[in-house]
Amino acid sequence: MPIQSARIQSVVSLGAIAAVVAIASPVTAQGQFDPRDLSGIWSITSGHRSISANVPPMTPEGEARMNANKPTRGRFLGEPLNGDHPGFVRAVRIPAQGNDPAHKCNPNGFPRLLLDPEPVEFVQTEGRLLQLFQWERTLRELWMDGRPVPSGENLDNLGPAWYGHTAGGWDGNTLVMTTVGLDDRAWIDIFGFPKSTEARFEERYTRTGPDTIELRMTMTDPKYYKQPWVGDVKKFTRVKRDETTFFGWYGLFAGVTEGICAPMNEVDSYNTLFRDPAGKGAK
Amino acid sequence: MTKSLAFLVLAAVLVAAAPLAAHHGRGATFDMKKRVTLKGVVSQVKWQNPHVLIFIDVKDDTGKVVTWGFENSNVHTLATQGYNRNTLKLGQEVTAVVNPAANGEPIGIIVKVILADGKEIMSRERGNPVD
Repeated sequence: MPIQSARIQSVVSLGAIAAVVAIASPVTAQGQFDPRDLSGIWSITSGHRSISANVPPMTPEGEARMNANKPTRGRFLGEPLNGDHPGFVRAVRIPAQGNDPAHKCNPNGFPRLLLDPEPVEFVQTEGRLLQLFQWERTLRELWMDGRPVPSGENLDNLGPAWYGHTAGGWDGNTLVMTTVGLDDRAWIDIFGFPKSTEARFEERYTRTGPDTIELRMTMTDPKYYKQPWVGDVKKFTRVKRDETTFFGWYGLFAGVTEGICAPMNEVDSYNTLFRDPAGKGAK
Repeated sequence: MTKSLAFLVLAAVLVAAAPLAAHHGRGATFDMKKRVTLKGVVSQVKWQNPHVLIFIDVKDDTGKVVTWGFENSNVHTLATQGYNRNTLKLGQEVTAVVNPAANGEPIGIIVKVILADGKEIMSRERGNPVD
C-alpha cells in the first residue's frame, strides 16, 4: 500500500476508533480503553490454577482416568482434605513417581497452558485472535471470521489436537470462544484432572479496564463429568513493558521470550541431574 | 511459632515465585528449611529454560572436591534482573547458599550467590524465584 493512502487510512481508522471509544468505552479512573481490543502482553494473576475449585461429580470412567494421572503439583496425597476436592490433594512426594506429561516436555495443551501464569501475548488480527504463549513458545488460533467449530464427521476426520479447534465471536463486548477436538492425553491442569476428546470449552473474555481482562470458562465433558465444570473469574493483568525488556531490548525482538521446554534441557539435564537424584532413596 | 513463621515465609516466597516460573513440582525432596553455605569455583553454567543450572566445585575438609549443582529461575526472569550467561565465569570463586536435597545429594535450590567482594546476586527473594 502506498504510504500516502496508508496514512489516510490510518487517520480514518484512528478517527473511527476514537469515535467508537468515545461512544462504547466504559470510562474508568484509569482512563479509556476499547473493550473490543484485547491486544497486549498479559499474565493471569488471579483465579484458581484449575478451571475452579468446584469440581463437578465425575463419572466412573472419569475417576479411573484421573487416578491414572499422577501429579507432582497440589497438596500431597494423604494430607487432610480440609474441604478441598480429593483431586487437589494427591500429589506424589517423589517427582519421578509422577507421570506429568509436561515434565517430559509434552505440550501442556489447552486449557493448561492458558492457566499458567507465564506471559501470553494476545494479537488481534482480521478474523483471528492469536495467543502467543511464552511457555512452550507456542500459539493458539481463536477464529472469529464467522466459521463454526468443526463437528460431526469433519471433527472426526480432523482428529484431536493438543490445542483443539477454536472459533467464536463477539457477544456485545465479550469475546465468546468455543473449543472442541482436544487431545485427551493432555491434562486439564497441573493437578492431573482429565478431559476426554468429547470435552467442549467455552471461554468468555471481557476487557474490564485498560490493563485488565476477565475470563470465565466452562467445560462440558459428559464422558468424564456429570455436570458442566463452571470456572471462577480469572483475571489477566497487563505485563509492564519493563518486565519484558532485556539488556535494553523490548522482549529481545519479540513480545514474549523463548520459554521452550526442550527434552535435551528438561529430561536429559534437569530430570537427570536434579529431580531424580533429589528423590533417590526417599519413600 | 517458629514453624508457622517459617511456613509463612515459604508461602510468601512461593506466592512471589508463582507468576513467572511455576512448572515443577518437586515433592518433598528438598529441605526448604535448611541452608547450606558452599564456597567453591564455578565449573559449569547451564543457561537454559525451564531452569538455569549452576555447578560449583567445593573442596571439603579432607580436600576432596565435590561438585554441587543448584537450580535457579528461568532465563527470562534472570535476564530481567540483568543477569546473563556470562555473569558467572568458569573458575570464578563464589559462595553459594542453597536449600539442599533432603537425601544428602550435592544438589540444591538457590538462596543466593555471594561474590568475592561480598556482593549478593541471583537472590531468590529478589528476582530469582524458583518454583
